[in-house]
Amino acid sequence: MTTTDTRTAAPEPVLADRAERPSLGRLWDTWGITAILLLLLALTPLVAPGFLQLENLQSVLRESAYLGIVAAGMTFAIAAGAFDLSVGGQLALVSVVTLLAYGAGGTPAAVGAAIATGLACGLVNAGLITKLRVPPFVATLGTLFVFRGVAYILTQDGPQTLPYDQIGSPFVKIGGLNVAGVPLPFVIMLVVYAAAWVLLRRTATGRRVLAYGSSPAAARFCGISAGRIQLFVFALVGLSVGIAALTYITRVWTADGSAQDGFELKVIAAVVLGGTSLKGGKATLIGTFSAVLLVSVLNDVLVGQGVPSAYQRIVLGCVLIVALTVDGLRTRFAVPGSLRRAVAGLAGRSTDPDSA
Amino acid sequence: MFKKGLLPLALAGALVLTGCTDSNATDPNAPKDDKVVVGFSVYDMQYEFFQKMEKGTREAVTAKGWEFKLHDEKSDENEMVTGAQALIDSGVDVLIISPFKPSALGPIIAKAKAKGVPVIVDDIGGGGAPYDAIVISDNSGGGKLAAEYMAKQIAANGKTGKNVASITCEPSAVYAARRNAGFKEAIEKAGFKVVAELSGNSKAEEGYKVMKDILAKNPDVAGVFACNDPMGVAAANAIKDAGKSPVKDIVAVGFNADPEALTAIKADGLAATVAQDPTAMGALTVKLAEQALNKTAITFDNAAEREVYNPVQLISKDNVDTVK
Repeated sequence: MTTTDTRTAAPEPVLADRAERPSLGRLWDTWGITAILLLLLALTPLVAPGFLQLENLQSVLRESAYLGIVAAGMTFAIAAGAFDLSVGGQLALVSVVTLLAYGAGGTPAAVGAAIATGLACGLVNAGLITKLRVPPFVATLGTLFVFRGVAYILTQDGPQTLPYDQIGSPFVKIGGLNVAGVPLPFVIMLVVYAAAWVLLRRTATGRRVLAYGSSPAAARFCGISAGRIQLFVFALVGLSVGIAALTYITRVWTADGSAQDGFELKVIAAVVLGGTSLKGGKATLIGTFSAVLLVSVLNDVLVGQGVPSAYQRIVLGCVLIVALTVDGLRTRFAVPGSLRRAVAGLAGRSTDPDSA
Repeated sequence: MFKKGLLPLALAGALVLTGCTDSNATDPNAPKDDKVVVGFSVYDMQYEFFQKMEKGTREAVTAKGWEFKLHDEKSDENEMVTGAQALIDSGVDVLIISPFKPSALGPIIAKAKAKGVPVIVDDIGGGGAPYDAIVISDNSGGGKLAAEYMAKQIAANGKTGKNVASITCEPSAVYAARRNAGFKEAIEKAGFKVVAELSGNSKAEEGYKVMKDILAKNPDVAGVFACNDPMGVAAANAIKDAGKSPVKDIVAVGFNADPEALTAIKADGLAATVAQDPTAMGALTVKLAEQALNKTAITFDNAAEREVYNPVQLISKDNVDTVK
């Protein structure tokens, strides 16, 4: 158990070493899932001939956006060592409120309502966690039911719907328009990721989130306020749901309390698949971005090839497991030479089955 | 079923391992312009009702020598919109859809219109969208069948009471409400009076409670019709708990031929139910699809909503064994 632990227990090697020698493992952390995505994209046309058609590609990108945008926000939450389990409830509630607002005040009201409701949901979570000291897992599990419940109350007389005669409205264009061939929802997603990357990598706030997620106790000693970090990440998740709901509802046109059941798990799965550590302190937006596209492409191919839905679920589950297994092995042999030593050690003392 | 699942599984496995080898085979999916391609987006293949609907649709399509493409909405409005639009993108000539959320038909039909693809809706609802036609069970006719059976059975039981009751689904279920309306019209024509018409919100426990109330206020009712089977069986249980027979004393009739109702009918725990026929509904959508493709006029049962009705069947102890 302990023979290799003295090395792997220190997650961050010396900083100077990190800057000078970008190891293969570190590259894999950020770009691994992107490489798999590119490989998949290269192979897909051979399996699914219809995949490369422009309209199909647009469909994949358009459909990825709402998941991707929330996953960007969730990356911050997980980097800070927390989950937001309520994003499915938030998405349902924001979608319903947005459609109500559209009925009352048209496109500007709907856009404003989406952002405001998303932020409000995030602040409710943040309030519960920072003021009432409820652990994030429990707090957001609770609000998941509360948000869905409110959405159900607002849709007692049937789902909120965009009437068919609104087909020409600018609101519908948010989900349907193509900008130079690129679907607008995907353009929004790109902007969100660019902003999120700057926030995470080029601002003090982003570094504080990572530091806090890496070690809350150490971060507190450095003067980082736990309350502020949590307020920030949960408000950010709420905001991302607000934006995502706009790209979702203008594509699907309808919402009620049951909309996107299980959404939170899809989002968390995408973030983890991308390479962000569930333990906190390590985040990769590039990984999240590629993971979202990977899931969408896989889904599109499986659906397009008529694979029965039960097998679709199995495949997506296996992809997640395989990715995390690879990541686990990677972490285990993170230090240069550790794999060689482990193999040598295994050969030397074959009686010890577990050297990690 | 298992055999059918193997190929896609192998394909999926190949994808996961990204070890795809045989790639230069001729493209089987290349569009053949002379062959009609029918896309069918189904509500959820987990449910027996939709499995039968898919079978009816697929068999009718292949019988015409056409190509059939299936999409499973998996009870998800996002998948419904994305997948049905993908079917349209993939070049189907006509789209048949049993929508998980009728209110999400808008963006699908908008896309179909843009591409000139006719859309036939199978059951559930049309959501106010401009579809070409919608096939639904003859709900009103089913209510009428229930009424005719009930009148006959009450007479056979030797009862002279002329009061009956009707239990409705939730007010928002428009099609289901037609069952109670059809029942009421036909039973009143037969000389009976509906003394109580109450909602059980489609739920068994509420159906039981409603029936208790009816028995308390109108102990002389000779029959009860419920707009679905969970409520029908529950009402029959309430009758049994009051010490009476739901076949010989107070004739209880449900709707939908759920397995629980068929079991109850065999054990004299329910007098009758009304069976929908999803397989025939599927076949009917294909017939309408052909008419829409050929631009021949479709004969609607309700032209205002472009509805075409599929016949239903009364199931009592006499024929319950013929139902699979």
